[in-house]
Amino acid sequence: MTTAIEKVKNFKIEIDEEKILRLIGYKKKSPKVNDSTKNLIAEEKKKLDYLLHPVSIHTILSYEETNKHPIFKNAEKIALCICTIGPELEEKIKELMNNNEMLRALILDAFGSEAVEEVAIQSDKLLAEKARKMNSWPSKRFSPGYGKWDIKEQQFVFQALPSQDIGVRLTESYMMIPQKSISFRINFYKNKKLSTRKIE
Amino acid sequence: MSKEELLMKMGKAIIEGNKDEAEALAKEAVEKKIDLNEVIEKGYVPGIQKVGDLWEKGEYFLPELITGAECMKTAMDVLKPELEKAQITTKSQGKVVIGTVEGDIHDIGKNLVASMLSANGFEVFDLGADVKLESFIEKAEEEQVDLICLSALLTTTMLGQRKVIELLREKNMSGQFKILVGGAPVNQKWAKDIGADGYAENAMVAVKVAKSSLKNK
Repeated sequence: MTTAIEKVKNFKIEIDEEKILRLIGYKKKSPKVNDSTKNLIAEEKKKLDYLLHPVSIHTILSYEETNKHPIFKNAEKIALCICTIGPELEEKIKELMNNNEMLRALILDAFGSEAVEEVAIQSDKLLAEKARKMNSWPSKRFSPGYGKWDIKEQQFVFQALPSQDIGVRLTESYMMIPQKSISFRINFYKNKKLSTRKIE
Repeated sequence: MSKEELLMKMGKAIIEGNKDEAEALAKEAVEKKIDLNEVIEKGYVPGIQKVGDLWEKGEYFLPELITGAECMKTAMDVLKPELEKAQITTKSQGKVVIGTVEGDIHDIGKNLVASMLSANGFEVFDLGADVKLESFIEKAEEEQVDLICLSALLTTTMLGQRKVIELLREKNMSGQFKILVGGAPVNQKWAKDIGADGYAENAMVAVKVAKSSLKNK
């Protein structure tokens, strides 16, 4: 059986500026955020229109098609997904750092982190819906390097998916390039009790 | 504008994060042939120190620290060629070689630490990201540095920090340089376990740890 690979591009990314403030070092109860920082955030946000190129790729495998890692045990299907926002934002960050614009670089980096997380959230939602359509119960999403799924399992994810189709590659140290990329799995269970996820 | 007024304004430009002003004042000081050591030590340095103090008090946050460092760099970019021309040596807090270890291309955190160290008077040799472990030691020897700062953002690459310390041991060079480590997966315990001299959770702490570790050198 040939496993279907699906590429998704139609992500709508909305980022709350409050989150950016937290990511660049302001605490929730920070007394004041100066106007120049607020202006910089607004200016960098405008660049996102041309710097973000969100895309993801996923596949749904049967247990037999996986490397039978213990983490897949009891799952009927396993969804694997890689998400990215593309390399453009990171190139801009480098340019800013070289021009002594460290704060702008940090702000853009925070936007990038939030953006790729948003791609992962929306991809996760899409896969959870697919699971339900298949009469399965999805687990939460887990990335290599978390819990009992070692970072080295990135290799399995990248073998299962043609990551080059979305411009993502894996380094020898299992780092993804572009850096603003996320890979994850979702186990699909027949038995609802095995899924720890709350389903609306 | 009197010299005193100019020096006072320099500090203010750093505190307020006004890059254009910091640059213009540096140019004015050069034109007026004011003692450049005095410009740095009595003009800009009190400014960046004040920024650090305000951060300690919780009045300033990372963005203000970064802007302060950007202003310092802008001013120093004007002053440095003049210092070199006149062969004037400035007071240094110490020499530092910094980089993100082999296999890891994250560099924004490391760059923040480098610019903060530089703004606070350290002479910084930034090797960039994905740096061969031997290169840290080679550069440290070549430049006779005081500190080696090793950044790692991955659980796989943080092992490189330990490897550098082991390499120094193998070469009978332990203790020759202080070693500071940092990065998302790194913590105080890891620093202690691998025999590093310090751990910094952020760029400003890195400056403090760097200063205090050199005090004990």
